[in-house]
Amino acid sequence: MTERILVLGAGPGGLVSANLLALHGYDVTVVEKSEYHLFQPGMLWIAFQGHPPEKYMRPVKDLVKPTVNLVQGKVAEVNLAERTVTLEDGRRLDYDRVIIALGAHLDYDAVPGHSSLVEEFGDYFRGADYAARFWSHFKAMSRGTLVIAAADPLYKCPPAPLKAAFLAAETLRRRGVKDSVSVVLALPFIHEYPSETVAEIVAPKLREAGVEVKTMFTVDSIDAENRVIYSLEGESITYDLAAVIPAHKGPAIRLLPEEARDDDGFIKVDKYTLQIEGYDDAYAVGDCNNAPTSKTGVTAHLGAEVVVERILGFDSRFNGRTNCPIVTDGEASFVISTYDHPPIPVKFSIFKRLLEDAFIASYWSSLRDPEKWSPIFRAYFEATDPSRVGGGW
Amino acid sequence: MGERIVVDAKGMACPGPITKLVKAYRKAKSGDIIEIYATDPGFKPDLEAWIKRTGNELVEISEEGGVIKAVIKVTAK
Repeated sequence: MTERILVLGAGPGGLVSANLLALHGYDVTVVEKSEYHLFQPGMLWIAFQGHPPEKYMRPVKDLVKPTVNLVQGKVAEVNLAERTVTLEDGRRLDYDRVIIALGAHLDYDAVPGHSSLVEEFGDYFRGADYAARFWSHFKAMSRGTLVIAAADPLYKCPPAPLKAAFLAAETLRRRGVKDSVSVVLALPFIHEYPSETVAEIVAPKLREAGVEVKTMFTVDSIDAENRVIYSLEGESITYDLAAVIPAHKGPAIRLLPEEARDDDGFIKVDKYTLQIEGYDDAYAVGDCNNAPTSKTGVTAHLGAEVVVERILGFDSRFNGRTNCPIVTDGEASFVISTYDHPPIPVKFSIFKRLLEDAFIASYWSSLRDPEKWSPIFRAYFEATDPSRVGGGW
Repeated sequence: MGERIVVDAKGMACPGPITKLVKAYRKAKSGDIIEIYATDPGFKPDLEAWIKRTGNELVEISEEGGVIKAVIKVTAK
């Protein structure tokens, strides 16, 4: 009998896993709650540069190979011991193997006042509609203070607030209002970026863009009425418009046994095999797991490839590789690291921006047909491995 | 007497230890003690900058066998 593999979630990790396994003849079912897949970094471009949301959305059914079964539904419970998944509408699915790729849960209730803020202004994390809402406020802004901040140091796409600040500053400059709007980037880190190496590269760029940086500012509460953000470290900033990255938690499902999760609800995996601790038929890829690497589409994609290769019988190991782009006006850099190697110095250049634009352009195709892109990505990741280009690129 | 919160951030690379400290600090109350263990050499200067900014009290910082131990008294909350 063909092995039945259940893939929970149709983000990058889920789609890459499902499409590669289908290619190898497995009986693959994907469970996804949304009809559309959103290219999440697109929210930055929607919110800060007014791109149309449709540009970054595709129907999930167009992103799976024809032999993949697609079930539209919301996962309520995963029982690892019983090998069953229950959906919110009561449907029950059995599996021989499960790949959990449900992403992180965004907790807007962790910080008082946050849900009022996001309902008023939108943001660039909650969804394309919230990003469009943010743009509707930002595009009309001609004076005052724009605050970009975070409720916790752990969130998807570590460069996201930096990109937000750069893109916002660019839009304000183009509109000729840069001098009357201050852009304040308040970060929970000690430096401008978690890694000091990256901070040293990005700091002059932020200065050039006229972005005011406040470090060690972790949002503790928001007074949406008086428009003040208070930090855990004891400071406050007054805003006219603000976007605060929410606290991230593990997926909002019931997962049995409960010991399969860490304190924040992330699913505990072996960081190399992405196997859920204690289960050889269950994996967690991407943002939903507790692997000590960045939560990004790239790590989800690469992790999915490792899981598929392991299911095929190879002893593949995930090395924690990141490739987080930081884009400014016309240039880009990448945050490149692995489990064994902290981020290397990568200079900003126009070439890297073109490379990032090429990655974005290949996004949909790389999810539906990952096998076609794997050799190209592999060549890129090998050529830019931190142990090879550790001195900088 | 406050509570004693022990945070194990050994083996975590930058910014792991500070991230864990911030998470613990969010839950802590005035008078609590946070005891954190880390192996990342960047943790020491980061912690000093954090103490300076937040105004909490660094009771003890020591290093033994590559493990940095820091004891912080929560006084600024």
